[in-house]
Amino acid sequence: MSLPKIKVSAFTAGTVMGLGAALVQAYFKIIPPPAYGICMVCHPKDLVNWIADHLLGTAWGNVTVSTTVPVLTVVGIVLGAFVAARQHGEFRLEPAREPIFHFITGFMVINFGLILGSCPIRIIIVSSYGSLIAILGYACLIVGVFLGSLTLRWIARRYVQRRAAA
Amino acid sequence: MIVPIASLIFGFVIGYLGQRSRLCYIAGYRDYFLVRDTYVLKGMFGTIIGAVVGFTLFHFLGGNIPGFPMLLDTAGMNLKSAWLFAIVGGLGLGFFGCLSGGCPYRLHVMASEGKKTYWAYAAGFYLGLIYFNVVTTRFLEMIVQALR
Repeated sequence: MSLPKIKVSAFTAGTVMGLGAALVQAYFKIIPPPAYGICMVCHPKDLVNWIADHLLGTAWGNVTVSTTVPVLTVVGIVLGAFVAARQHGEFRLEPAREPIFHFITGFMVINFGLILGSCPIRIIIVSSYGSLIAILGYACLIVGVFLGSLTLRWIARRYVQRRAAA
Repeated sequence: MIVPIASLIFGFVIGYLGQRSRLCYIAGYRDYFLVRDTYVLKGMFGTIIGAVVGFTLFHFLGGNIPGFPMLLDTAGMNLKSAWLFAIVGGLGLGFFGCLSGGCPYRLHVMASEGKKTYWAYAAGFYLGLIYFNVVTTRFLEMIVQALR
């Protein structure tokens, strides 16, 4: 049996995510805090904190929506992406490139993300909710990506120059 | 029990869509800055449109959308530290997100595709989460107290 191949444009997927984030808040009780439908730094934090607090007896605390039972968005995303990759023959174990660099960037991303209180998706959703502070954070995020892009370009140029010199 | 079930199903849907569409919330800006490619950027416009339309629509349909629009409401935090955290967090998240190759959502999707590079990313991500709970929170509390 072959399952149908599905192709989705980024615009469609983005629209579904924005609408869905509003829908789960409006009718499926993923609130408070408001505009919390998707967040890829806060939802992992809720899950980890819930597990740590209930199994290890820490007192890291949680937001209101995740005090009794945590949100499971991350589990859903990993499962959904795995199913989609398997269905379309795109699941392939590939060896790690620069694992230490990626380990460090992951470490920094979660810390700055939690200082901001949202991931790049939730900052859009909170901005759409009308929060002026989130709009400032969103502008700073874009400036940060711009600086990161300049850094990537600089790294690439230096690499090319060194190769040419050698 | 509705919260975990709804979030699990919604997560499954967006994980599936994310794998099919290569949607990423940092690569969109990066691709535009570096090579003027707008395919992923359109996804972000879609999210803005979807969220604004969704919140406005469900607000008028009587869904649970309290305090819309939010404006300067900071949910308990004082305003000065909220501005500061938005600036510092935004710049840091954008910069390191760009270096890491995408937003956490995209990299979770790529980790599920079997790319072990992003398993290393996820290890740093979840270890950083524990570090935040143990160390960074203390710093943030000190800053909030100092700015009161």
